[in-house]
Amino acid sequence: MKHIDILLIDDEKKFAAMLAKRIELRGYSSEICYDGRTALQWIKKNSFCVTLILLDLQLPDLYGTKVLSEIKKINPAIPVVILTGHGTEKDRKECEQLGAYMFMHKPPHIDELMTIMTRIKEQGVS
Amino acid sequence: MIKEIQSFMKSILPEFYNHKKNVHYNSFYTFTDYWYLWTMGIFILAVTALSPLCIQALIHYQLIQKSANSEAILSAERLTSNAKRSITFFMKERLDALIFTVNEMGYERLTDNDKLAETLKNLKLGFGGLSDLSLIDKDGSLVAYAGEFNLEGKNYKCQPWFLHSLKKKYFISEVFTGYRDVPHIIIAVKSIKPDKSIFILRATLDTERLMETLTSYKTNDYTEIFLINHNGVLQTPSINYGNILTQTNLETVNYSNNTAVSMTNFKGIPVILGHSFISTDMVETPFILMVQKIKASIMHPWLELYRQINWIIGISIILIVIVISFASTFMVNKLYRLEMAKAEAMLQMEQNQQLAAIGQLAAGVAHEINNPLAIINQTAGYLKDLYRFKDGPKDDVEISDNIDSILDAVDRCGTITQQLMGFVRQFDIKIKKIRLQKIVSDVLSFHKKEAEYRGIHVTVSIPDTIPDMETDSGKLQQILVNLINNAFQAVDEGCCLDIIGSQMDDKTIQLIIQDTGCGIPEESLTKIHKPFFSTKQDQMGTGLGLSITYGLVKKLGGNISVQSTEGEGTCFTITLPVKIQEGTLA
Repeated sequence: MKHIDILLIDDEKKFAAMLAKRIELRGYSSEICYDGRTALQWIKKNSFCVTLILLDLQLPDLYGTKVLSEIKKINPAIPVVILTGHGTEKDRKECEQLGAYMFMHKPPHIDELMTIMTRIKEQGVS
Repeated sequence: MIKEIQSFMKSILPEFYNHKKNVHYNSFYTFTDYWYLWTMGIFILAVTALSPLCIQALIHYQLIQKSANSEAILSAERLTSNAKRSITFFMKERLDALIFTVNEMGYERLTDNDKLAETLKNLKLGFGGLSDLSLIDKDGSLVAYAGEFNLEGKNYKCQPWFLHSLKKKYFISEVFTGYRDVPHIIIAVKSIKPDKSIFILRATLDTERLMETLTSYKTNDYTEIFLINHNGVLQTPSINYGNILTQTNLETVNYSNNTAVSMTNFKGIPVILGHSFISTDMVETPFILMVQKIKASIMHPWLELYRQINWIIGISIILIVIVISFASTFMVNKLYRLEMAKAEAMLQMEQNQQLAAIGQLAAGVAHEINNPLAIINQTAGYLKDLYRFKDGPKDDVEISDNIDSILDAVDRCGTITQQLMGFVRQFDIKIKKIRLQKIVSDVLSFHKKEAEYRGIHVTVSIPDTIPDMETDSGKLQQILVNLINNAFQAVDEGCCLDIIGSQMDDKTIQLIIQDTGCGIPEESLTKIHKPFFSTKQDQMGTGLGLSITYGLVKKLGGNISVQSTEGEGTCFTITLPVKIQEGTLA
């Protein structure tokens, strides 16, 4: 099975596409899921073949925290970075409790993302 | 001294005395006219408390009046009846003595002048009050006489008293002057000579003795006792009605043996008038005993009682009114304070509601804008990436610069949306230990360049003694950013901005931010904390800054007030607790 570096879960197609292209330009492979269920199915199939998941909270079918808790059930070892446009303090706390790796606001800085990626790779978490 | 009086007046005046209408609170007041409430309270309480007292006092007065009247009548009645008994006895005694003389001496002995003089002497000794004795024949001629007047050869056949004496067995005359020209009373006894013809023994009573008897009943100057005849002519002298034999206007009532008392007026003065007809069991007399008492003299002790009751009632009324005034002030003050607190709470609630609405709006805007921003950001980022990673004209700096400015603009937009989000998030508080000096200098560092450029003199005076605060540094920072931003927008070149910190007490810190800028017009002062109110219409002010600031200060458990004079400057005063209380976090 092909290994994917970053899984993008975001319903904003243009944003996800741009971000994926920029990630690929920096030498990492990426995959995009536009809703929660598709993403969960994908992870079930490829749970050990992804390094990092970028998760938006506002998804059309499931709320991000729900998706996060499901991901953690499938494989608690995958680092999940929450990338949200308007997450509240409450969301932040909930995500931290559910084991999110980091809580970031949109728009993300690509360099920051790359730093995180490098750090995860160095730590050898996968 | 004046200050002391003023402070005393302040302490007794009701709190609502200085009530100033505040346009913000007006719509929340239930009551507006506290003076009306206060006076109505006093009036209703006074009517309720005083009317029973007044009714009772009126009943009292009437009872006293009644008692006084009956007392006056009784005393006059007693006096009249006592005096009547005395006068009656006086007349009867002398009549009896004369009857005894006639029966004892007989006609023959009475014709002897010496014997008659002897009898008069004895009578004077035994009874007194007699001035002379005369024996008169049936034809009116004087037969014998004993006494001090020279009446020899007088004939009485035409005298009214003589004609009356002939008709009756005994006769008592009214006072008249007669031949001797001295007021006197005649007592006559008709008897029969041995030859069966009639004769009359006449005694003259001197009025002095009668007057003495009357005067003995006069207990004070307000009482007068005198005699009148059936036609109202004075038989004894009277102080009020005149000398003896003067005609009075007193009504002589139909004959009745009983004592009668009535209330009347004498020369406008209320008097009690008692009268009684004098008559013995043997003969009627022409006398009516009159007793006149001035009512006021009898009323005197009652008037004293009146006065005492009046005093008690007067003092009671004053005390009741004072107590009622205090009670009314107390109640209206309570009501006033409740009203004020209610209005403030309502206003606060309204502001909170407005802030919450703005919060929702802000969240909506942030939500809608954030996603497109993210796309712009990523797209521009991708363009830059393409420029960087792909082969191309790398020496064309202009493309790279333009992409950078897109990214900068997006960053700024991002900051704005984050601020708007922060507006929603002001309900969350993170307490940290902070130093006020540091926060202030952090905030001022953003404005350092602008201050230098515009020549604005910024002075910060925060003493080192101010303790570290335990509060939400982010919110305090936001408060300072907003106020300092405002000040910078208000001042012109060369103006001053002072930031002064001080410790008010163990628990409170005061921070004053004052500028010498354009000031705020008076009509705007009361609106500046309202959301969307802005004086900077032309500069696209959102009207949110101060509104957010007010909300934040409240959130930190503090207070904010503003003084401003248009053209001279504005001064914001913030008081904040050193340690934020858990209760204020809600």
